[in-house]
Amino acid sequence: MHPTPSAFEGLVVPYLQRQPWFLADMSRFDRGVWATFQLADLEIVIDGRPGLASVVVTVGNRPFHVLVGWREPALAPAVLGDRQGAVLGMCDDGSGDVLCYDALADEELSTRLLAVATAGRERARRVRLVHSLVSHASLVYDERLFMKSYRVLEPAPRPEIELMLKLEEVGFEHTLRPVACWERSGWDLALVREYIPGAVEGRLLALTSLRDLLGRNLDDDRPKLDEVGGAGGDLSSEVRRLGETTGSLHLALAEAFGVRALPAGDVPRSAAIRVHGDYHLRRVFRTDAGWIVGGFGDDPLIGKLGDSTQSREPRFVSPLEDLADLSYSLRQVAAEAVAAQPAVTRVQAERLAKAWERRNRGSFLSGYLGVGGIGRLIALDRPAAAEAIKSLVTKRATAT
Amino acid sequence: MASSSRPGRHEARWYEEAVFYELLPRGFFDSNADGVGDFAGLRQKLDYLQWLGIDCVWLLPFYPSPLHDGGYDISDFVTVAPDLGNLDDLVALIEDAHHRGIRIISDLVMNHTSDQHPWFIESRSSRDNPKADWYMWADDDHGFADVRVIFCDVEPSNWTFDQRRQQYYWHRFFHQQPDLNYDNPEVVDAMLGIVRFWLDLGIDGFRLDAVPYLYKAEGTSCENLPATHTLLRRVRAEIDASYPNRLLLAEVNQWPSVVTEYFGAGDECHMCFNFPLMPRMFMAVRREQRFPITEILAQTPPIPDGCQWGIFLRNHDELTLEMVTDEERDYMYNEYAHDPRMRRNIGIRRRLAPLVDNDRRVAELLYGLLLSLPGSPVLYYGDELLMGDNIYLGDRDGVRTPMQWAPDRNAGFSRADFAQLYLPPLMDPVHGYQAVNVEAEQRDPSSFLHWLRRMLLVRHQYPQFATGSLEVLPADNPSVLAYVRQTRVTDGPLGEEPGSDGAPELDGAPELDGAPKLDGAPKLDGAPAAVLCVSNLSRFAQPVELSLGRWEGCTPIELLGRVPFPRITVKPYSVTLAPYGIYWFELEER
Repeated sequence: MHPTPSAFEGLVVPYLQRQPWFLADMSRFDRGVWATFQLADLEIVIDGRPGLASVVVTVGNRPFHVLVGWREPALAPAVLGDRQGAVLGMCDDGSGDVLCYDALADEELSTRLLAVATAGRERARRVRLVHSLVSHASLVYDERLFMKSYRVLEPAPRPEIELMLKLEEVGFEHTLRPVACWERSGWDLALVREYIPGAVEGRLLALTSLRDLLGRNLDDDRPKLDEVGGAGGDLSSEVRRLGETTGSLHLALAEAFGVRALPAGDVPRSAAIRVHGDYHLRRVFRTDAGWIVGGFGDDPLIGKLGDSTQSREPRFVSPLEDLADLSYSLRQVAAEAVAAQPAVTRVQAERLAKAWERRNRGSFLSGYLGVGGIGRLIALDRPAAAEAIKSLVTKRATAT
Repeated sequence: MASSSRPGRHEARWYEEAVFYELLPRGFFDSNADGVGDFAGLRQKLDYLQWLGIDCVWLLPFYPSPLHDGGYDISDFVTVAPDLGNLDDLVALIEDAHHRGIRIISDLVMNHTSDQHPWFIESRSSRDNPKADWYMWADDDHGFADVRVIFCDVEPSNWTFDQRRQQYYWHRFFHQQPDLNYDNPEVVDAMLGIVRFWLDLGIDGFRLDAVPYLYKAEGTSCENLPATHTLLRRVRAEIDASYPNRLLLAEVNQWPSVVTEYFGAGDECHMCFNFPLMPRMFMAVRREQRFPITEILAQTPPIPDGCQWGIFLRNHDELTLEMVTDEERDYMYNEYAHDPRMRRNIGIRRRLAPLVDNDRRVAELLYGLLLSLPGSPVLYYGDELLMGDNIYLGDRDGVRTPMQWAPDRNAGFSRADFAQLYLPPLMDPVHGYQAVNVEAEQRDPSSFLHWLRRMLLVRHQYPQFATGSLEVLPADNPSVLAYVRQTRVTDGPLGEEPGSDGAPELDGAPELDGAPKLDGAPKLDGAPAAVLCVSNLSRFAQPVELSLGRWEGCTPIELLGRVPFPRITVKPYSVTLAPYGIYWFELEER
């Protein structure tokens, strides 16, 4: 008892066309591509009422995944509440009219989805939808498991998943352990990982530190010997630990994917490894057991996705690139904190924020270089490494 | 003893819900105008302690002592220092306290004696006297070479040469405190005799000083050795057999995983202090983020049924920084002890109020944490007034100045001449007794003292604070610490819930037939199953969204004002906190 494939296609296509994440992804393609919708794959996951289907539609060669749920029209409003934007429309499921909608708006179906994605190994009582981004939606089950349900699909293995499984293989512990991967017809549809409640995004921790620093000193003109280090919310020890975690991440990546030589003319005295590629303060999380690397974005790992003519060869670059990304991220967060200050204290806030960035960039690097064995990836002394990172940060700043 | 009027208290497990009050008898109240506080004086102040909401008084050492280490160097274990009174005074104090539902525990120093103790005087007199082997003697100072020196500021070694016996003796603390030799069964018997002596007098238990060091063995750190645990089990068995409802509270300044060994399988100490938690509460407030606290909570293993943590903000010792990393220690020194005089050994010798720059909001936040985190809170005398300290006094005397009762002469502590006082009371313009004293704070309904008393009242109404489980709630805002304390009600006959091995309840604690079984605490009629505590560790106002879906449909009631807050829905629950603000909510699970 479920809608027909053509009914799904007829409902999913107009739904996709009004989704911001779809529009964002397709914006780089010519409008002509947009007319080439095709139902590429369909699985009835739960047959009945309520029902659930996993629908893959391609546009050009871009595959999109939509989880479609359906119920009796009279029952649907109670389930969807104010999430009317999730409605796809009405159709017949073989025994009468049903209302179809994005299944992630339905808690019951989202909860049952966990068993589907983990081949029945995991079940949960509660689910909450954390966020819905361009490439995926995130759900948390019982504050214990975390599912990334992909919208824009990639041929399996998706780089993120490959990376995570490899890191697990070589015993890298500072990340969320992968639990299951939902794959069908050569596509990775969802990834389930463990979830650590109470983990806080690095950016929020950095903003807490900056708030203390700026709040403490801006109303006080007296010069201080070490005003940044002396601030109660000093972040440097945390950032040093993050540097250590980053070092062990790079060693694990080197072990998992090997080490290559850098092309001539690139950063001197550094090996080329598979790096994180999108390493910033939103990607790392402070937990009660230290830092973890929370997410691995897809795009930066293999260059721009999408057009199949582009190389899918993973990038091997200097580990300094990740260090520069994170250091640049410190600068961005500092700028964010300064921007929130009233204009009258802006100048002093900028001065302090610069000192904050310098101090924490240094601590991060110290933590990184202190990791045993890191010398085989970066054969630079501290000042040279600091100089190299600084120039990479400047390059990023001028590029934006 | 007279039973407390508070509902739902287990007689045998009273310590699980008790609020402790640590005091220096010498510094509390002087009844005979000799400049030194005494038992008769303390007796006169029991009404105050009862009014405040104290369940148990922990007396700092009151034994005869040359006072090289605040009385922890005891020269006679079976009497009281003459300036404090006599044994009759102590018995009268215990009886009066019991009449008010207050218990009295004392310090028991098992590890060492004073070098003035007759045992040591005899032991050092020759190499073949009857007590020659009661202490640890050696011909050289090479033994136990890897053992750390605890009082590293003043003691160069754990060995000291004795001219008389021409041998070295071992001491983990000051050289005036020789360690007893527990490998000698006579020493064990003598100590057990001392334990019985005090319990026979009516003392409700002991705070066991320096327990990790009792046994020594070459090639080890001489800490936490198995033989020490065996001895503690023996002491406990003795107490359980002949002295029901008494308490062993261990001072083990170690990491939680090591400390929990002192609970044994519920057959060693009833309570242990949670040392690592304390500095981290201060650190969390300074860093304005919760991780210093949640990190140590995550590392704290579960403890056996019938056991409880003792938690505290400050005590008679320095704020010990042994249980933090070097880096964290530097940070704490930098933040809380910028003047080197504020430091001592590995720690900071300051009272609560000066530690928090006399900021009442921070003091309230820290007490809010103390009274709601797992464990029985131990208050240090005077901190309920936000008393200050005197960093110009030697050793730890700076935090042992007289209790400030009134704005009168000598802080109302003593009618002796000022010069006669055992230590001068504080007289500085901020913390001095003219401004900070019991009389003034009792008169002022908005004083810190009244606030704390009210918090203690609320705490006593909710056994969840004492024995409930702890669940830290996720919050995006790192400056907010939110957790739920919950007593778990399990259905079914007693001892038959899943996982139970049918073992009998400790101490024959009374249980109601057929009543729901609670984890540790009896359920009060109509008592809610959960208490939610939300604290803002920042000096700025903070918002937080909490995932409280489990309590969907329930209305949180703020515990101090009984104010109902908006109903919990399936959406994240939004709470806004004032700077250093704390909320305690009652949550009823549907």
